[in-house]
Amino acid sequence: MQRVGIVGYNQVKLYSDANYGRYEMIFEAVRGAIDSAGLKKKDITTVISCTNDYYEGRTISNCFTVEVGGGYMADESKVEMDGAHAVLYGLMRILSGNHKLAVIWGGSMASCFPYHSARLYETDPTWERPVAYVNDISSAGFQMRAYLQKYGVNNEDIAKIAVKNRKNASKNPLALEEAKNPNITIKDVLESGIYADPVTELMVAQPCDGVAALLLAPEKQALKITDNPVWITGVGYSQDTYYLGDRDLSGSKSMEVASKMAFNAAGIKDPKSEINVAELFEAYAHEEIIFSEAIGFAEKGKGAELNTEIDGEIPINPSGGAIGGNPPCGTGLIRIIEAAKQLRGEANGYQVKNARKAIASGQIGMCAQNNILFVLEGGN
Amino acid sequence: MGRQVAIVSAGYSEHASKRSDVNMAELVSEAVEDCLKKVPSVGFEDIDAYVNGNMPAFEGSNLPELWMTDWMGARNKPLIRVTTGGTTGGTVAIAGYYTVTAGLPGIDTVLAIAFEQQSQGDTSVGLASVAYGELSVLNTLGMSYEHLTRLLSAGAAIGVASYQATNYMRKSKITEEDLARVVVQNRHNAAKTWWAHLKMPNLTIEEVLDTPYISYPLRYGMVCPASDGACAVLFTTEEKAKDMCDIPVYVNGVASVAHESAVLGYDGSGSGQIDPSEQLGAMRSSELAYSQAGISMPRKEIDYAEVYAPFPNQELMWVEKLGLFEETTAPQMYENGVTGLKGELPICCSGGVNSTNAIGASALERPAEAALQIMGKASNQVPKSVHTAIGHGWGGSLNLCTMLVMADEPQRKWR
Amino acid sequence: MSKLTQRKSLEYVKKDYVRTRTMPASWYLASYKYKYNLTHMQPFLEKLKNKKLIGLQCSGCNRVFFPPRLVCGKCLVKPDRWVDLRETGKVATYTVAYLKDTETGEILERPVVLVQQDGADTASMAQLSPEIDFKDTYIGMPIKVHWVENPTGGLMDIEYYDLVEDDAKDLDLRKE
Repeated sequence: MQRVGIVGYNQVKLYSDANYGRYEMIFEAVRGAIDSAGLKKKDITTVISCTNDYYEGRTISNCFTVEVGGGYMADESKVEMDGAHAVLYGLMRILSGNHKLAVIWGGSMASCFPYHSARLYETDPTWERPVAYVNDISSAGFQMRAYLQKYGVNNEDIAKIAVKNRKNASKNPLALEEAKNPNITIKDVLESGIYADPVTELMVAQPCDGVAALLLAPEKQALKITDNPVWITGVGYSQDTYYLGDRDLSGSKSMEVASKMAFNAAGIKDPKSEINVAELFEAYAHEEIIFSEAIGFAEKGKGAELNTEIDGEIPINPSGGAIGGNPPCGTGLIRIIEAAKQLRGEANGYQVKNARKAIASGQIGMCAQNNILFVLEGGN
Repeated sequence: MGRQVAIVSAGYSEHASKRSDVNMAELVSEAVEDCLKKVPSVGFEDIDAYVNGNMPAFEGSNLPELWMTDWMGARNKPLIRVTTGGTTGGTVAIAGYYTVTAGLPGIDTVLAIAFEQQSQGDTSVGLASVAYGELSVLNTLGMSYEHLTRLLSAGAAIGVASYQATNYMRKSKITEEDLARVVVQNRHNAAKTWWAHLKMPNLTIEEVLDTPYISYPLRYGMVCPASDGACAVLFTTEEKAKDMCDIPVYVNGVASVAHESAVLGYDGSGSGQIDPSEQLGAMRSSELAYSQAGISMPRKEIDYAEVYAPFPNQELMWVEKLGLFEETTAPQMYENGVTGLKGELPICCSGGVNSTNAIGASALERPAEAALQIMGKASNQVPKSVHTAIGHGWGGSLNLCTMLVMADEPQRKWR
Repeated sequence: MSKLTQRKSLEYVKKDYVRTRTMPASWYLASYKYKYNLTHMQPFLEKLKNKKLIGLQCSGCNRVFFPPRLVCGKCLVKPDRWVDLRETGKVATYTVAYLKDTETGEILERPVVLVQQDGADTASMAQLSPEIDFKDTYIGMPIKVHWVENPTGGLMDIEYYDLVEDDAKDLDLRKE
C-alpha cells in the first residue's frame, strides 16, 4: 500500500458543556489544522466530515457546514460513523490520485442531545427497541460480565485500566476536566455508582463536546508540506454481526479481523514487539483489555497482566484514551491525532520514548460491532 | 496511483408507495439479490467490502446498517456508511468507486447499497428538520414564530426547489405545457421499467394540467411520489470485471463539489446563492467529472443521461447546466423528441426521479440505470447503442451535487 | 455449497405474508439544543435599533454579508470590516407559502421573497408590503426598507419592503 502522510491536525479542548457555537467549534478545529501545516484554503481539494443526524438534531447535517469545514467549492462528502472511518475515506480519496490534500473533521456536542436516547435508535426497531433491555448501557454490562466469567479475571483488574487512563488524562491538556483524576484509586473506581453491573460510572468514557480535524496528503506532497509527516502504512476495518447473542462477547472478532487486515497491509508480523504505542478507542475500561487481546498484544484472558503504563512494555492510551473524553463521532479521529503526536514527539507531558510505530483504533456500534485500526509510522 | 474501476451489475427492489410487506433489512436484501442474480459467477464470498447509505431521518433508525449486517451478507467484512441527504445514493456510488480504486490490499470487489423506506416516517418532518437549527437562530434574533412558520412552509412539499423554479422560469420562459410534456415522457418511460413506482402508460398532457396547483407553477400531477425502495451496485477492478460480465462499464469520472446553501445561510445569515438556478457547484462538478473522463463536448460525446429531477422544471434546468444542451433550448429538445426513447440523447428512460423517489436510493439509481443501459440490460433499453452515459444527483439546500461519468472503455488520461 | 445452491437458499418465503410487524416510535426534536454564537451580530442589531443597515465584509474576497456571517467560506477566515448599506434592494427570488388562517380556515397565499440589499452579496428572507399584489412581483424588482415605528434591535425591525417609486424614463423596468 502506498504511503499517505498526516501533515497537520488540530483538536479543540474537550468540555462537557462547551461555551461554543457549533460552527465556531468546527471552524476552530479546521482552521487550526490548516494553519498548523502552513497551508491555505485554496489548497484544499476534498473535505470529509463525520457527524450523525441523530446526534445533531438535524437531517443532512453536512448541508450547512460546507463553509466552516473548508468545503466551499471542494469535493465534499460525509461519513456517518466514527471519525476514524472518515479518515479511512479520506485515505481512499488520496490513494486514488484524484486529490492532493484532504481535510477530515468530525465531532459533535453531546451536551446538546439526549445521548442514550439517540443511541437507542440504533437498536432493532421491531424486537429490541420496544422492550429496550438491550441498549448501549446494558450491552456494556453484558460484555464485561462475559469477559470476567470466561477468564476468571476480577473487577479490580478492570478498574486498574480506568485508574491508569484517568491518571494519563490528567497530563493531557486537551482532555476533559472531569476525567482528569491524578489521585484516583481502584477503590474509588469500584465504589462509584453502578452504570450497568459490573461496569461502574468511572469505567465509562463520558460523552462530551469536541471537534477535531486532520490533514492527509500523498507522499510527494507530504514531504514538501512538512519535514515531519506521519505515514499511514496500513488500515483494516470490519463489521461483526448485530445481535449480541450471535457473538462471543468475551472477545472481539471484528477487532481481530481488522487488525489482521491492517498488519498485513503494513507488513507487521509480531505486533507486541514492533508496535511502540497504541491509542485505542475504549468506550468502557474492559474494552481496552479485550482489544489488546484481539490485536495480539496478549494471550486470551491475560490482557489484564500487560503493563500498559507510559513506560511499560506496550503503552496503551497514554493520552487517557476515550475515558479522557469521548465526543461522539470524533473520538476515533482524536485517537489517530494522539498517536501521530506521539510519533512526532509533540505529546508534552505524556510522551512515550522513541515511538516509531503506533496503532490507533475507532469503533461504532454496541459492544464495538464495527472496528477500524490504523498503523502509523514516524517519519524518521 | 489509483486503479480503473468497473461496474458489473446493478439491482433494484420493487418500489411502491408503501412496502408494508417488508422491513428495511428485507428491502435491502431484495436489491442485493437482484444485483447478484445478474452475475452468476459472483457469490457472497467474492464481495470484499460494502458501502451503505440512506437518509436516516425518515425511518427513525440511527445507523441501520449495523442492524442489517446479515441481510447484506456483510458479517465480518469491511463496511462504511456514507450519508449526505438527497445525494446519498450518489455519494454511496462515489464511495464504492474510491474503495475499489484506492487498492487497499484484499479489497477488489465492493457492493454499494442505498435504500429508503419513507413510508415508515413522515417525509415532510424529515425534510424540514434540515433547517431547524438555522431557523431557531432567526427566532433569537427577533423573528416571530408566525414568520418562521411561513418560511418553513414556503414552497409546500417542494421546499427550496420552488425558489429555483422561479429563477429558471424567468430565464427560459417555459410554459406549463413544456412541464407537462416532460412529466408525460417520464411516466411513459416508467411504465416500461419493472421497478418504477408511478407507471402511467396512457397519461396525456391535458390530464397532467387538469390537477390543482401545489405551488405555482407546479401541479400535483407533476411532482414526484414518495417511494420505498433499495438499489445495489457492484463495483470491481478492470481485471476481475472481464470475467464477471460481458460488457463491464468503466467509471471514468466522479465529482461531488459543494457550494454555499441557498435560501437560508448557516446561523441565520443570508444565502450566498443569489440565483439558486445558477448552480456553480453542479457546473464545477460536471467540469471536473468530464475532464477526468476525457470528455470535451458533452453534447456530442454523451449518449445517455440520467439526471436527478423530482420536478419537471428541474429536469429542463439540469440538462442545460450539465452541458448536454445549450441554455434555454431544453424545452424544444423535449418537443422535438430528441430526449425520447428513440432520440439522439435519451434522458431518464427509467422514468427518472419524477416517477420513483425513494430519497436515499434515487441518486444511486441514476448511475445504476445509466450503467445498465451501457450493458444493454436495462428494463427500458434504448434502441441505439450507448457508449458513454452520466448519472447525476443533487441535494441539501440546493448546494450538494454528485456526478458520475461512465463508458464502455477505460479512460486513463486523467491519471 | 456451490454458488447456484447458495443462490436458491436466498429465496426466503416472502410471499406468504402481506404485512410485516410494525412498532411505533418518534424522534423527539424538542429534546435537542442548538448552540450558536451571536457576538458577531451585536453591532448589526445595534444599528437596526437606529434604523441603519450595515453589512460585514470579508477582507479576503470583499464580499459583503447581510445579515452578518461568522466565517467566509471562500477564504475560511472571519470577516471583520463593517460597511454601511443603502436601504434599497432587489428581489432575488420568491415563492408562495400557503397558510391556513386560524380564524377563517381559508388557505391564504403569502409571497415569501429573498431580498438582496444594494451593496450586499447575500440574499435574506423578507416579506413584501401588503399593498403589493403577489402577481406583480418579478425578479429584480426594486424595493426599499419600511421600518417599524419603534425598532427594538431585532430582525423584525424591518417590517416589510415597499416598492420603490421610480419615474425615471430611461430605466428599463421589464416585468419578466
